[in-house]
Amino acid sequence: MNTTVPIAVTGASVLTALGNSIDALQAALRAGRTSVPRVSNVDAVETRIAGFDATQFVNVRGLRLYNRPTQLAICAAKLALTESGCEGQITGEHLGVVAACTYAHLETLFEYDRSLVVNGLMRTNPTLMPIGIPSSLGAAVALSFGAKALSVTLGDGGASSLDAIGLAARLLAAGRARACLVVSAFTPCQELLLSASRAGLLAPPGDLFVFDRAHCGTAFCEAACALLLERAEDAIARGARLQATLGGQCSTFAAERSEQARALSRAGEVALRLAGIGAGELALVSASASGSPSDDRSEAEALVAVLGRAPVPIMAVKGNLGDSQDAAGLLQTIAAIAALRAGTAAPIRGLVAPEVPGLRYATEELSIRGPHALVTSQASTGACSALVVTGAA
Amino acid sequence: MLSPWSYPQKLGCAARRVAITGCGLVTAAGNDLDAFWDAIMSGRCLIGPVRRFSAPGVEPILGAEATLSAAEARPIDLDSDPHRDRCALLALAAARRGLTDASLLGSRSDLQRCGVVVGTTVGEERQVASLNDAWPAKGANAVDATLLSRADNHRLASEIARRHGLRGPVLLSATACASGNAAVAWAYDLVASGETELMLAGGADTLTRLIYCGFSRMGALSKSTCRPFDRRRDGVSFGEGAGFLVLEDLEAARRRGARVYAEVAGYGLSNDAYHLTAPEPHGDGFVRAIRQALALTGTAPDEIDYVSAHGTGTNYNDVAETRAMRAVFGDHARSIPISSIKSMIGHTNGAASAIESVACALAIHHQAIPPTAGLSEPDLECDLDYVPEIGRSLPVNTCLNLAAGFGGLNVCVVLKKVA
Repeated sequence: MNTTVPIAVTGASVLTALGNSIDALQAALRAGRTSVPRVSNVDAVETRIAGFDATQFVNVRGLRLYNRPTQLAICAAKLALTESGCEGQITGEHLGVVAACTYAHLETLFEYDRSLVVNGLMRTNPTLMPIGIPSSLGAAVALSFGAKALSVTLGDGGASSLDAIGLAARLLAAGRARACLVVSAFTPCQELLLSASRAGLLAPPGDLFVFDRAHCGTAFCEAACALLLERAEDAIARGARLQATLGGQCSTFAAERSEQARALSRAGEVALRLAGIGAGELALVSASASGSPSDDRSEAEALVAVLGRAPVPIMAVKGNLGDSQDAAGLLQTIAAIAALRAGTAAPIRGLVAPEVPGLRYATEELSIRGPHALVTSQASTGACSALVVTGAA
Repeated sequence: MLSPWSYPQKLGCAARRVAITGCGLVTAAGNDLDAFWDAIMSGRCLIGPVRRFSAPGVEPILGAEATLSAAEARPIDLDSDPHRDRCALLALAAARRGLTDASLLGSRSDLQRCGVVVGTTVGEERQVASLNDAWPAKGANAVDATLLSRADNHRLASEIARRHGLRGPVLLSATACASGNAAVAWAYDLVASGETELMLAGGADTLTRLIYCGFSRMGALSKSTCRPFDRRRDGVSFGEGAGFLVLEDLEAARRRGARVYAEVAGYGLSNDAYHLTAPEPHGDGFVRAIRQALALTGTAPDEIDYVSAHGTGTNYNDVAETRAMRAVFGDHARSIPISSIKSMIGHTNGAASAIESVACALAIHHQAIPPTAGLSEPDLECDLDYVPEIGRSLPVNTCLNLAAGFGGLNVCVVLKKVA
């Protein structure tokens, strides 16, 4: 016997180069603004949120010891907690953290290990080591807010944060926490940017086109996001405002590039089935298209398979922001919630000539009707994930 | 059809009971289940000098190295990726052994609803080390086009899935040294709820200079061999390896005539939220994880026949774990055998609790429990039955497997004998 438990979003936050609030981000997306580097696609500084200062958001012990993505994640978590109004209502014993981290630790890992080689053990900062492992971001968030129910970390690349949302929802449904922060941050480090450039994955500066025939690569960008999830009945009981509910999530895998579209469509179809809705009931798709020709093509083919003839508007925030890897699924989900609330899908920046026909891309701002959105993501290793989110009435 | 966020409730109410039908290992104690079991039951410490790499300021490097067969070290049925890390090879070999043990290798045409969860602490670290070794001479030119994909630990899971045709959830648990148990817990939920038919769950990690240097500087690296719960213990000894369990619906396993080692009855989770590296000294996090595991699996304290301890050999951990046992079980704690196989195969980080879950399954299968090696001078603060030096035969129906990780996550998995 299984039990069905509705899971609600009661807090959400974004920190991006296009704004540090959901309203600011939504306004920037609707206006078609971009934060994608225009001068160099391998300059880490250009990919980052200008002027970010963690102390302006939060005052927690040990903040300065953490690396930049961890500080971003802590700030995003604080914003989500504050927005949910749960501080003082939900104690640390009942608060959990599910983090998505595949790359956020790497800059510190490179720095620590390089210092060992160059400077030796005794002249290397020992505090870097624990921050140089992937679990540290989630652990630091849990430590900062006294989350004692659980703290787990996933590292599924670009599929990480949708998988993290699904895991958190299942853990909440099982009663392992009363509230759960799902959090992620990505800060492109110089080594990864150089590697991506040398692999031919990056678009020339200013040339990021998603879903378009002109797509020629992606761009990496810094972002941090958090959601505060609760069982809906608990949230209602404490008087919280429900921003959305989660309908269903499914993870699949593509062993070969040629299977990617089929794997992603399977994830989408199962997520819809779990949510108990058909494709025709969707108001919106928040896609993960990043400008990578093969990924965009497979995602579009997957959406054609999932949506059939349903004219569902498709938005893709990476056209404005670039790819924030682990944080991307969260960012897409939050953008979808904001779009459902506003009743409008922001335009896909720079999309003029879609490569794969048969879909209703938001080449301009589109009105949307209905409460349900499908969020899709895929990782370079073949992991695919899909989530159905339903906006609050 | 499943409803959203359905979940298995207590044992007996879950949609499915979850059987362990296969185990696969690569450890310093052997890669064959019988050899591994014989080695750890004899209390043989396998920690010795490691010469494969150097770690600045750490001399000598002591650890428990695993040995891969020639075929496992260079798998010919995979693409010839010259960058495949040792960690991935360990994971691939143990996963294959697990599927073989479950009589599933190559036997299924439709694995769309089967998946894998791999736990790791550091994972594919070699590319970081090789980049930095070249950095003084080459600078940024040492970065090559493959780094981005090689630095992605999800490869550990995706390579297993690719090799064995798994098309369900393919997931990477990066929950420090509790990663293996977290992977088992996650896979349990997916099978128990009916979302997947079968999951491979496990962990893998190898020896890295990052870990040696880090623990050395923290004063937590043993200068000889680790001695969990002993008065003379001076820190951790590391090992490398991988361990995987095949988890599937018990009824489906019975229908196909599979051997069932044990069932995963459920698990408990908690977080210390105390310190980024140190455990909460009173064992409060362990206590909450154990109590949750007992409650959710409907297990009475006096049903526990064996506890596989996290047992790292650090002063803090072993005392905290002992205090937790006393807090949960009271005076009964003294009559529950508890041991740490890390005393023999070292601390294998993200693989550790997965390997220890395999050891618990084997304990139920063989009706015997492994010892804690090197324990000859008991600590006054560690006053439980740690099964010193040599394994014991005794009835084993229910085991607890405890794991903790940097940052404070605790996972307690309950394994039970299937009648």
